[in-house]
Amino acid sequence: MPETLVTIYEVFMRTYEGFLKAALVTLKITAIALVIGIVLGILFALMRISKSKILSTIANIYISVIRGTPLIVQIMFLYYGITSIIVLSNFWAGAIALGVHNGAYIAEIFRGAIQGVDRGQREASLALGMNKNQTMRRIIFPQALRIAIPPLGNQFIITLKDSSLVYVIGVTELFGLANREAASSFLPFETFMVVGLYYLVLVLIFTGLLRLYENKLNVDKT
Amino acid sequence: MIKTENLHKKFGKLEVLKGIDLNIHPGEVVVLVGVSGSGKSTLLRCLNFLEKAQEGNIYIDGRKIDRKKDNLPKVREEVGMVFQHFNLFPHKTVLENIIEAPMIVKKMDKSKAEQLARQLLEKVGLSDKADVYPNKLSGGQKQRVAIARALAMEPKALLFDEPTSALDPELVGEVLQVMQDLANEGMTMVVVTHEMKFAREVASRIIMLDEGRIIENADPDTFFNHSSNERTRQFLEMVNLK
Repeated sequence: MPETLVTIYEVFMRTYEGFLKAALVTLKITAIALVIGIVLGILFALMRISKSKILSTIANIYISVIRGTPLIVQIMFLYYGITSIIVLSNFWAGAIALGVHNGAYIAEIFRGAIQGVDRGQREASLALGMNKNQTMRRIIFPQALRIAIPPLGNQFIITLKDSSLVYVIGVTELFGLANREAASSFLPFETFMVVGLYYLVLVLIFTGLLRLYENKLNVDKT
Repeated sequence: MIKTENLHKKFGKLEVLKGIDLNIHPGEVVVLVGVSGSGKSTLLRCLNFLEKAQEGNIYIDGRKIDRKKDNLPKVREEVGMVFQHFNLFPHKTVLENIIEAPMIVKKMDKSKAEQLARQLLEKVGLSDKADVYPNKLSGGQKQRVAIARALAMEPKALLFDEPTSALDPELVGEVLQVMQDLANEGMTMVVVTHEMKFAREVASRIIMLDEGRIIENADPDTFFNHSSNERTRQFLEMVNLK
């Protein structure tokens, strides 16, 4: 056991420069995927609850397809699909795939949150003469956002970890690098232990930030 | 001011309003009473187009409102509403609750809207609460803010949907007082309430609904003391028993 610990330490010291760079790639992909996911999520959530049959059907299909197929398949599909049409780095193909994937889950989070806002809020807003757009933008959405924050935080953590799957299209993020290191050093156990720690630390930092933000919201208004 | 002709409203198969003809004149305080399920709240909500009546016409200021052609938000600017559960916006302070609609709907500039809001808060006796969030207020205070919020749009009429039913008994008086002040100033009001004392003292007319129909339409004295209607007398006995 002590020998293993020593080896882990050695692997860590030998690889940290590379892993820190790779961690940055992981964070970038995650951030881009989240931005895309939130934009798509809001859009599809609104489409899903819209009265238009066409819009809600499109949103339903999108959500069903994304939730019904594995992320790794989506990444492959999008990578080979997109890069056969336009020139795109595998970094961007991965980020977009992850973003589109996220969009479906975030859409469901937002839909639930919007529907979770008390019906009386909408009525009060309409009764004051506000139109539907103003009501959504100024009254419903801000309240829905607060309901959505805990599940969104959860989704962000899932995304951070899911970003490891883009290694299949050759992006050198944390897991991709770990895979290569494990093979070249013949120390798979130690290497994956180290990369696991990187993910854990990133998630813990993120969880802490999220908690601070939630507390701030709560202190402000409840 | 507000007129309905043969208003029918169904929820699925349940017919809640079965042909309501109502005429509310400027400056009147009309109190709608009836047992629960009689359709009084639904009628009130139809007047503000929060519920869609399947049949019949609604006239505001003599003009027939067409749900499809008319701009409903514009119509609602003229007819404010106060709800049983206040429905204040919890993410906004008291002041922000009040200035929201004037600023967004009427494009009033902020300083002017705030000035108006502060006047209204003074009127409902809550000047010191401008910057607190609604969850720090008592029920009675919330409802008074809700009234101020509705007044900020300078409506021609105000609808009250059981404004005191969600309040602790000791908080009912402060809300009724504000409503009485409004009535004295000549505000046109339609009030659904179980507060018979308010109805007796403030109403210009009392309308009793029963199973979706108007069965009594009389001034308070006639309603409380000389009604010949059997259901009205039963209702009054029930209310008195409480």
